[in-house]
Amino acid sequence: MNNMNNDIIINIEDVAKTYQMGAETVHALRSVSLQIRKNEYIAIMGPSGSGKSTMMNIVGCLDTPTKGTYLFENENVATMNDNELADIRNRKIGFVFQTFNLLARASTLKNVELPLVYAGVKKDERQQRAFAALESVGLQDRTHHKPNELSGGQRQRVAIARALVTKPSIILADEPTGNLDSKTGVEIMRLFGELWKNGNTVILVTHEEDIARHAHRIVRIRDGMIESDTINPSPAEV
Amino acid sequence: MMGISEYFESARIAYQAIIANKTRAFLTSLGIVIGIFFVIMMGWFLDGLDNAFDKTINAIGTDMLYVDKWSWGGSDDWRSVQKRKPISYQQALEASKKMTTAELVAPHASKWGGKITYQGNTLGSVSIVGVTAPFVNTPIGNLKEGRFFSETEDVHSVEVVILGYKVANAFFPDRSPLGEIMRINGRKFLVIGVVNKRGTIITDFIDNQVFIPIQTFMGMFGTARRGVQIAVKAGSQELLDEVREETRVIARQVRNLQPGEEDDFTINESQMFRDEISTLRLYVWGIGIGLTGLSFFVGIIGIMNIMFVSVTERTKEIGIRKALGAKNRSIMWQFLVESSTLCLFGAFIGFLLCATVIFAITSAFPDVDFLTPYVPLHLLFIASIVSIIVGIFAGLIPAYRASRLDPVEALRYE
Repeated sequence: MNNMNNDIIINIEDVAKTYQMGAETVHALRSVSLQIRKNEYIAIMGPSGSGKSTMMNIVGCLDTPTKGTYLFENENVATMNDNELADIRNRKIGFVFQTFNLLARASTLKNVELPLVYAGVKKDERQQRAFAALESVGLQDRTHHKPNELSGGQRQRVAIARALVTKPSIILADEPTGNLDSKTGVEIMRLFGELWKNGNTVILVTHEEDIARHAHRIVRIRDGMIESDTINPSPAEV
Repeated sequence: MMGISEYFESARIAYQAIIANKTRAFLTSLGIVIGIFFVIMMGWFLDGLDNAFDKTINAIGTDMLYVDKWSWGGSDDWRSVQKRKPISYQQALEASKKMTTAELVAPHASKWGGKITYQGNTLGSVSIVGVTAPFVNTPIGNLKEGRFFSETEDVHSVEVVILGYKVANAFFPDRSPLGEIMRINGRKFLVIGVVNKRGTIITDFIDNQVFIPIQTFMGMFGTARRGVQIAVKAGSQELLDEVREETRVIARQVRNLQPGEEDDFTINESQMFRDEISTLRLYVWGIGIGLTGLSFFVGIIGIMNIMFVSVTERTKEIGIRKALGAKNRSIMWQFLVESSTLCLFGAFIGFLLCATVIFAITSAFPDVDFLTPYVPLHLLFIASIVSIIVGIFAGLIPAYRASRLDPVEALRYE
């Protein structure tokens, strides 16, 4: 294997996903091939019903394809069982969701610690790392607040800290600014830009051109197929 | 392997879930509360019963044999027992002379329905027991106060009496009866001693006795048709088998039984009360287990139901946890810990309830001395284990369902 190939984190080959909805078979993804390399900043775009969400679920190892191969850092994810997938998600993927998806009853620090709990990291180290992650998103003085005591932007930053805390191979953000006002949205996008500069691989899943234009590569999906896969010549800087 | 951190995480979540829904948690665990209540109450009562049994056999004497026409146990055929001839005083004396292995062999006789009078007050249905001086070495020689009578007093039919605990208490609740003169079936007796309390729930009657010298007894009630019993003291429990064997051989000799003929006497001993106790135990146990089982059944359904609710309520949370890397077994574990914690919480409430009720009962009935005024700690231990097992059992299906949720579906849930 050459150097270029060693850089590939995600290697999706001819992946399809079908669902059975009653008597009808829904082809959410027909045939998709996609490679994502280390430290790319990529946006996956598409209108609703395009198969974008299915694509995200498969990339995020929340779901497995019906057909095709999916190598995540050379491990075949397509044939993994629930627990193996959970392990991949835990170690290699940092999720950021539109609705933040923080645990309401747990403090900021506990929320950020959670992936480390499932990774079996001991308490002291866990707290240290969670605190460092919160520090990196500028929330070191909010560690004992509950999510409902934070603003939307702060909540999303907690979610980003939680995504970062395991030092994952990719950060997968699903409409990360969808629930935020535009000013806060810009702040969050600036944060993603910083993450990329620090060497992270960032994948945005969005239907907003404004968000996608921050990425360096834009993949458009329509009707379960990749419509286009282009380099963004002038990524937006914030 | 699941990390210890995950265990604590689950326990913490479970604790928070219960704190967040205190009333619901309490109502849900009510079945368990009641179940644990019955388990502990039953255990406590049976413990008391066992205690009573131990006291009883000590009061009767663990190394004592009582040769009698009548059987205590009721295992012998009642009609053939009734046809037996009474053991005569002569036979008893003869047996005493022949026995070599026993520490003490002595005849005694009793009359039921005796009447005791003191200063115009009369107590009926007291057992009057004629004993010999060596009885001081049997459990009835264990005196609360005063002394036993001597051989001289026995031989000379002196009118002295040793009162059983209940009799003494009936006439002299707050002072010593020593030196008082009481009438037994009309005849005057000097009180010289009081026996320690010996009776318990099933052997209360043994405190309702008075002891007089056997010669005096014979003088009052005659010997012709009155049966006597032979008390045999083995000296220790280890010697009991040997002494019982000799007692049987000698009793057959003095009763002139031919080989092949059945024994026309019974060798009674304290162990015979075990039958009575075990029947009572069985009833208590049966009722207790029945009630406990029913409560746990209701409890399990309640817990299971609330766990289904909890799983549904927290579908989104399950999705988040799975996205962050929770394995199926972690989710399963989380809900099992929650249901067991709920049950453990119920057990704790049940335990407090028991402690209160037990305290109330023992305060209200201080005379029922076989009931201990505290909950034995091993019962708390058992109750905890049982409740955890019940919790796991009740949580199994909901937890399994939670663990199998599809993360994509669960994350979409609102």
